[in-house]
Amino acid sequence: MQRLTTILKYGYWVIAALLFAGGVVLVFAWTPTEATMGPVQKIFYLHLPAAINTFLALMVCFIASVGYLWKRQQQFDDLALAGAKVGVLLCSIVLLTGMLWSRSAWGTWWTWSPRLTFSLVLWLLYTVYLVIRPSIEGQQRRAMISAVYGIVAFVDVPLVYLSVKLMPDIHPTSIALAPAMQWTLGYWFLPITMINIGLLAVAYRLHRREALLARPRTAIAVRRSTFHRPAATGGAA
Amino acid sequence: MSRAWRQLLLLIGKDLRIEARSRQTMGLVTVLGVLILVVLGLGLGPGKVPSGPSGTVLLWVAYLFGGVLCFEKTMAVERQDGTLAGLMLAPVDRGVLFAAKLITNLLLIAALAVVITAVGIVLLQFDLSGVLGPFVLITAMSLLGFAAVGTLFAAAVSSTRLQGGLLALVIFPICLPLIIASTQLMVRLAERPDEVGAGGYLILVAFDAIYLVMSWLVFELLLEP
Repeated sequence: MQRLTTILKYGYWVIAALLFAGGVVLVFAWTPTEATMGPVQKIFYLHLPAAINTFLALMVCFIASVGYLWKRQQQFDDLALAGAKVGVLLCSIVLLTGMLWSRSAWGTWWTWSPRLTFSLVLWLLYTVYLVIRPSIEGQQRRAMISAVYGIVAFVDVPLVYLSVKLMPDIHPTSIALAPAMQWTLGYWFLPITMINIGLLAVAYRLHRREALLARPRTAIAVRRSTFHRPAATGGAA
Repeated sequence: MSRAWRQLLLLIGKDLRIEARSRQTMGLVTVLGVLILVVLGLGLGPGKVPSGPSGTVLLWVAYLFGGVLCFEKTMAVERQDGTLAGLMLAPVDRGVLFAAKLITNLLLIAALAVVITAVGIVLLQFDLSGVLGPFVLITAMSLLGFAAVGTLFAAAVSSTRLQGGLLALVIFPICLPLIIASTQLMVRLAERPDEVGAGGYLILVAFDAIYLVMSWLVFELLLEP
C-alpha cells in the first residue's frame, strides 16, 4: 500500500511535469506568434490559467475557513493555509507575467490598470493572511482569527473587482485568438491545474505534520502508544 | 424602548463618557492625522499637492492611520480591568456589543474626519466647494464600512501580539476597495459629474451592507476576554 501511494505520488508529478514540458513545446513550436504583440503574447498561455487557478486555490482557503468555523477541526485550518500559500504563489506568477506584458505593450513595468491593480490587491490580501499568522499565539486562536480573515478576504475579492472597474482601463477587454492559440490556451489549464492541486496536497500534508508536532507531547505519546504498543518487558521500569 | 436599545445606548454612553473624561483617543488620533497631512504637504512641496477632489486620497491616508489607532484604543479600554470579560458575562447579546462598539468607533472617526478635512482645506488648499455634498455623503458611507471592518479586527487583534500598529496591516488590504471606490468616485464627480449616477453610490451601499453583515455575524467568534 505504501509503495502504491509512493508510485501514485511520483507518477502524478511526472505527468504534471511532462504536460508542462509539452505545453512549452506547443507554445514555441506549434502555436503561431500573435501579429500585434509578437512573442511576448505567449505569456498569456501561462498568465490566464495561473489567474484562474489563483481563484481556485483561494476558494479552497475560503471553504476550509468556513469549515473551520463550523467544525473547529485543525485540518480545516491546515487546508486553508495551504490554499492561501498556493494562491499567493500563483498570484505572484500572475503579477509577474502581467508586468512583463505591461512592459512590452505599454513600455512600463507597472500601470494602474484595473486588472493589474486587482491582482496586486488580491496578492496583498493573502500575503497579509500568511504574514500575520505566526504573530498570533495559540493554535486555536490563530486558526480562529485566520478563518475569519480568510472569509472576509474572499468576500472582499468581488468588492475589489467592482472598485477597480471604476478606474480608467487600458487593458484589452477581449483578445481574438486563432484556433491554434485557443487549443494551446485550453491545454495549458491541464498542467497548471495539476500543479495547483499537487502543491495544495503537499502543503496540506506538511501543515498536518507541523500541527501534529505542535501538539502537547503527552497527546503525541498517547497517540503513538495507541498504534504501536511496545511488547511487555515484564521487568520493573 | 426595548431592552436591546437600552443596552445599546448604555454601552455607547459608557464608551463616550470614558472618552470625554480621559480624552485619550481623540487627542492622539487628531494630532496623528494632522501630522500626516503636514508630512504629506511638506513632502509634496508647494504647488504639487493635488488640490481638487483627487486630493481626497491624501485625506484618506490620515483617516486610515487615525482610524486604526482609534479602533485599537477603544478596544484596549475594554481589555483594562477585565471589562470585556464582565460585558461577556452580562446578559447582553453579542450583536449589541458589536453595534455599540461600531457606533462609538464611527462617531469618533467621524469627528476625526471633520477635523482632518478642515485642516486639509486650510493647509493643502483643497477645493471642495462644488462637490461638498457628494464628498460628505461618499466619505460618510466609506467611513461606515471602514468602521465595521475596523471594529471586527480590533476585537480579534486586541487579544494577540499583533497590537501596536499591526492592526493596520490587517485592515488596510480589506478596506482597499472602499478607498479605491471612494477616491475614484470623487475624481469622477470632479471630471465627469454626469457619469456618476445612483449606481456609483450603490457600490458603496453594497460595500457597507456586506461589511456590516459579515462583521456582525463573526464578531462573536473573535471576542475573547
